[in-house]
Amino acid sequence: MRRPDFARTPTFYSVLAVACALALCTLVLFGLVYKQTTAYVISKYDVLLVEELRIFASNSPDQLLQEINDRLLKDPQHIKIAGLFGADGSRIAGNLDLLPPGLTPDVPTNAVVIRLDGGERNAQNVRVAARALPSGRSLVIGRQIDEITEIAKVVMRALSLGLLPAFILTVFIAMFLSKRIFVRVTELNQKIQHVVTSDLRERLPTSGRGDTFDQIAVSVNQMLGDIESLVREIAAVGDNIAHDLRTPLTRVRVRLERGRARAASLDELRTVVDQAIGGLDQSLAIVTALLRIAEIEHSRRLEGFSQVPLGPLVREIWDLYEPIAEDKGVALRVNSADETTVHGDRDLLFEAVANLVDNAIKFTPEGGNVDLTLLSREIGTVVQVRDTGPGITEIERESVTKRFYRSDKSRRTEGLGLGLSLVAAIVKLHGFQFVITAGPGCTVEIICPQMH
Amino acid sequence: MASVLLIEDDKETADEIRAELGDRGYVVDWAANGIEGLDKARSGGAEVVIVDRLLPGMDGLTIIEALRKEGMRTPVLVLSALGAVDDRVRGLRAGGDDYLTKPFATVELIARIEALLRRPTESRDTLLRVGPLELDLMERTAKRGDRVIDLLPREFRLLEYMMRRKDQVLTRTMLLEEVWKYKFVPQTNLVDVHMGRLRHKVDEPNEQPMIHNVRGVGFILRAPA
Repeated sequence: MRRPDFARTPTFYSVLAVACALALCTLVLFGLVYKQTTAYVISKYDVLLVEELRIFASNSPDQLLQEINDRLLKDPQHIKIAGLFGADGSRIAGNLDLLPPGLTPDVPTNAVVIRLDGGERNAQNVRVAARALPSGRSLVIGRQIDEITEIAKVVMRALSLGLLPAFILTVFIAMFLSKRIFVRVTELNQKIQHVVTSDLRERLPTSGRGDTFDQIAVSVNQMLGDIESLVREIAAVGDNIAHDLRTPLTRVRVRLERGRARAASLDELRTVVDQAIGGLDQSLAIVTALLRIAEIEHSRRLEGFSQVPLGPLVREIWDLYEPIAEDKGVALRVNSADETTVHGDRDLLFEAVANLVDNAIKFTPEGGNVDLTLLSREIGTVVQVRDTGPGITEIERESVTKRFYRSDKSRRTEGLGLGLSLVAAIVKLHGFQFVITAGPGCTVEIICPQMH
Repeated sequence: MASVLLIEDDKETADEIRAELGDRGYVVDWAANGIEGLDKARSGGAEVVIVDRLLPGMDGLTIIEALRKEGMRTPVLVLSALGAVDDRVRGLRAGGDDYLTKPFATVELIARIEALLRRPTESRDTLLRVGPLELDLMERTAKRGDRVIDLLPREFRLLEYMMRRKDQVLTRTMLLEEVWKYKFVPQTNLVDVHMGRLRHKVDEPNEQPMIHNVRGVGFILRAPA
């Protein structure tokens, strides 16, 4: 069964719980008042009863009978009780049928008795005190305590007059508050649903009161803003991928088409096919590089990390790239005096630094230098690659590490434009920093903060 | 000629590989799913097993693990559309001998199979010889006939790798992975540059060339005819 709207918010139950707690407290309070009042009343009675008992007992036996009869006659409302019983328990005078059992001399107690006067021979709650007389008889003095029941009734009436309406009122307030919150939550929810399903550009409305709901709306709006820009970014990346894949694929298509129409010999056709395969390989390399970046960016496996000595690593990279630099007329120099280790994945770090060196060699014109240096700074170990190439402008710096970006200058040089994105992903995975500094040429640094 | 067991669920890919291997004289047996593949592999006829990583019925890695547990030492080449490095590591750890990511060039596949069929000479001999070429692993020296070849350490490593696999086509990726332990595809023609250096030293202009470029595939070291 579906619960009603008002019963579907935590507010309703909170208010209800508070109301219950209040009711419980009130009950305890009233109970205490009742207990204290009756105890006070009874103690007053007791003082009187003991006093009366003392006075009655001081009379001679004849006077006593007279006094008992007087006491009962002067009490038309049948409040008072008096009784004189023989040593064998038989009634001698008074309005009591039997000597109440279990009485302690001079100590007032509650008893249930049957009265002889007052018409009704019903059992009645009374307070009595008794004393054994020197003659062996027992004297009982007492009074009925219906007032106590009256007090209880008054207390109950006060309780029902005060507590019940208050409780009912609270329930209504709970329902009202709950309903109001429910309406706003539902409204927010519908808006969010709408944004999610149809239009990411829409935002949640705020009431302007600056309340919690407005705060939530503001937070959600911020989140939506972030999501929207991410989606845009992804779309842009998608466009870039499409562009970078389309270019080689279009070339392949054109070549194949022309080859099919124009190739006069098998050899000519083979040349065309070879070129087409080259183009396809280029496209596949782009896909591979993209997958690789995604793999690194989403990698949460850090258990493969170990202490990697950076000195041998940079020297090995130098060893690998030195002939390539030499072929291009670029001097690749390595300076790895600093023998430190960092916590990381050796293969990935190798790939990152190799990429930086690869890039530097690629962008440095003949006669230039590329320096691969291992530095020790206060913040930690730094792998620095500095070249004398065209450099990177301020604006380009940020975009350079984004997927597929290639600054216009570099578009002339071959490459997939993914190298630096890959480096950025690897560096981020390690918790290192990647800094590109413009200047004469370009300086890129991987800063590996010391582990504590 | 060598017999190959191909466990591959995509029929078109399987047909291409079978045709290509058939042209080169291999006898190819084909299994389209994991269970059938494992049965055929167990019967032990094949000299090389090619296993697709993701198969219906039984995962490629499970097949390799099962075979290895039963003590089968037949070399296994894992094919996979999953290019992740992690996956490669998993494939080799399960007992695969080599790993090739789809899509691959057919020549690459052939070269890998050749390599698996002809395990390199891991002789304890400290002197490697191919024709007039001599490589002293103790002295770290190289000679072609009487001519001493002065090699850098990296060139020495490369030549040693090639001499252990003479007459065998070595692709660029194989060289990168094996000689340089390089696990990714660099953007530059690294291997060609290094090979150029080595060739320059090994084959002098007046000598018969020993290092040959196999167009579109890689390189091969052969004794002069």
